[in-house]
Amino acid sequence: MPHLTRRTIGDLTLCALVIAGSSILFIGAATLPAPRFEPMGSAAVPRILGGLLIILSLVVAVQSLRAPQDEAEPPAAIPFRGTLVLVTLIAYVAALDVLRVPFLIATPVFVVVSGLIMSHLSFRNAFMFSALGLGVTFLVDLVLTKFLYITIG
Amino acid sequence: MLDAFSLLFQWQNLAFLVLGTGLGIVVGAIPGLTATMLIALTLPLTFHMDPVSAVTLLIGEYVGGISGGLITAILLRMPGTPASIVTTFDGYPMSQSGRPERALALGIMASVVGGVISWMFLAGMSPSLARFALQFGPWEYFTLVLMALVMLAVLAQGSLAKGLMGAALGMAFALPGIDSSIGQARLTFGSSTLLSGFGLLPVLIGAFAISQVLRDANGANTALKIDPPKKRLPVYWSDIRTHGPNMLRSSLIGTWIGLLPGIGGNIAALVSYSTTKQLSKTPEKFGTGHEPGVVSGETANNASIGGALIPLITMGIPGSPIDAILLSALIMHNIQPGPMLFLTNGDFVWALIAAYLVANVLMFFTMRYSVGLLAKVVTVDRAVLLPLIFVCCVVGAFALSNRIFDVWVVVAFGIVGFVMERAKVPLGPFVIGFVLAPLFETELRAGLQTSGSFMGLFTRPIATAFFVAAIAMLFWPAVQAWRHRGRPVTGGVDTTMD
Repeated sequence: MPHLTRRTIGDLTLCALVIAGSSILFIGAATLPAPRFEPMGSAAVPRILGGLLIILSLVVAVQSLRAPQDEAEPPAAIPFRGTLVLVTLIAYVAALDVLRVPFLIATPVFVVVSGLIMSHLSFRNAFMFSALGLGVTFLVDLVLTKFLYITIG
Repeated sequence: MLDAFSLLFQWQNLAFLVLGTGLGIVVGAIPGLTATMLIALTLPLTFHMDPVSAVTLLIGEYVGGISGGLITAILLRMPGTPASIVTTFDGYPMSQSGRPERALALGIMASVVGGVISWMFLAGMSPSLARFALQFGPWEYFTLVLMALVMLAVLAQGSLAKGLMGAALGMAFALPGIDSSIGQARLTFGSSTLLSGFGLLPVLIGAFAISQVLRDANGANTALKIDPPKKRLPVYWSDIRTHGPNMLRSSLIGTWIGLLPGIGGNIAALVSYSTTKQLSKTPEKFGTGHEPGVVSGETANNASIGGALIPLITMGIPGSPIDAILLSALIMHNIQPGPMLFLTNGDFVWALIAAYLVANVLMFFTMRYSVGLLAKVVTVDRAVLLPLIFVCCVVGAFALSNRIFDVWVVVAFGIVGFVMERAKVPLGPFVIGFVLAPLFETELRAGLQTSGSFMGLFTRPIATAFFVAAIAMLFWPAVQAWRHRGRPVTGGVDTTMD
């Protein structure tokens, strides 16, 4: 087993994900009716795209494995903050959707938490993001409810 | 055209154009925030607006967003937009040698000249190109979309296979929903929310805005230090004589490159810069703070906007992600771009063309007289901006159709976009594939219905030409690699940034 670079492992993971996604296209296409009034039918394009994606995945995998594996790689930066912000975003949308937390409460909390993740944890920043979050939330809520007649959450 | 200008100069349309241009310049100037992100975020807000006001706002953002990037490119060597990368080559050395005002003045002047010249092509070519496109049937549209997708994939940075994979993935995500040909659900797996498929705007907001914020989150707390210009920006009439031929040539290059799908303002600027350098009597001065270097790049990147609007208006084919968003804006307002647009919505399309010209003029005056202020604005801490962008993404996606499902789509495609960028799968072909997939499938099925087989394509000369061009482009990289095997790579322009 040759030593694989981080890039190659990433490419192979991508190929595996794409092939798995392509199989969903084939599964979905299998339930569609055969063509009756036209030569192609509804299932043709999903099957063509599924097949194409599998072929392209194999090409990417082969290209990645054939590329030199001993090149010096710079250490990849772990998107630590990005991941935390993503988790916060998912929690925010879940709070609005699943927990039915009002927009006026969930949004300032989200702005404070994500702002602190992206900057430094300090009282000054917490105060600033709280003020910013409250201001923006009330402004957006005003525009949504008074002008566009939309209520979120 | 006069009617278009009178429509455009109604106070609300003009106000939105001023607002859009100003917003675009500010966002374009901030490294990490792009015109694509701004337009994707603003689009939901235009839902309740008059179509002309909506499109003037978006066109203003487009022009301002591409132009604003030159400020930080010159003052910080940090291009606000990818289209301004080339401007750093000579703009930053000029700034370092005590001539930031001159570099900014030339960049702004070149931008407006590029915009105005490409506007002439937009206004002059579009009607005749639309008349030509009236001959197009299903096979012509199918092969045109095929050619556009292949070109996007071929020209995307990195591997061709990944470019094609991006386009195919985008098309695959456009498949779920009701198949309009037979009126039956497809790939919905029993979900009623998926019957209307993934909305274009949530996908765009997710793929561009969310993924970019996730990427920028790591370095968000790095505030920019900038030294704003202290003197007036010097522009002289003699500049027209000195830099006129360069600006004309760069405008033609920019417009032509903009016409081709998938090649953005950054490539236009790069090609124009290389051409100017090759034709120069003093090529050794390029990269050291040479004025023609700034002029060529900035002229071409602005000219590419006008070029890119031509296929969008006349054939409904977007050449870049921003054009894809503009296409969705037009569709959202019940305006179908294509050859019939000049006949069905003549006033609107001429107003759009007029808005492009006025946006360039507004951009010139805004940037010329407020560049010092703009230089201070870009120093705003991005950690303050990014949470607000998230909120705008969530609100914008929800406001479109009052569905929280669309917000989840934004989050999901934000993750998809983030993963794709990490894996070096280009987002451009993905988005254009998503936008063009319905047209691709509809026209292919219509072509097969009328002809009975795929061979019907070859009875149509224009369709055959597009098809042959697509195949040729697909194999061109392999042919080039075979021709250049074993030969060392020479020349070219170094676009790496340190």
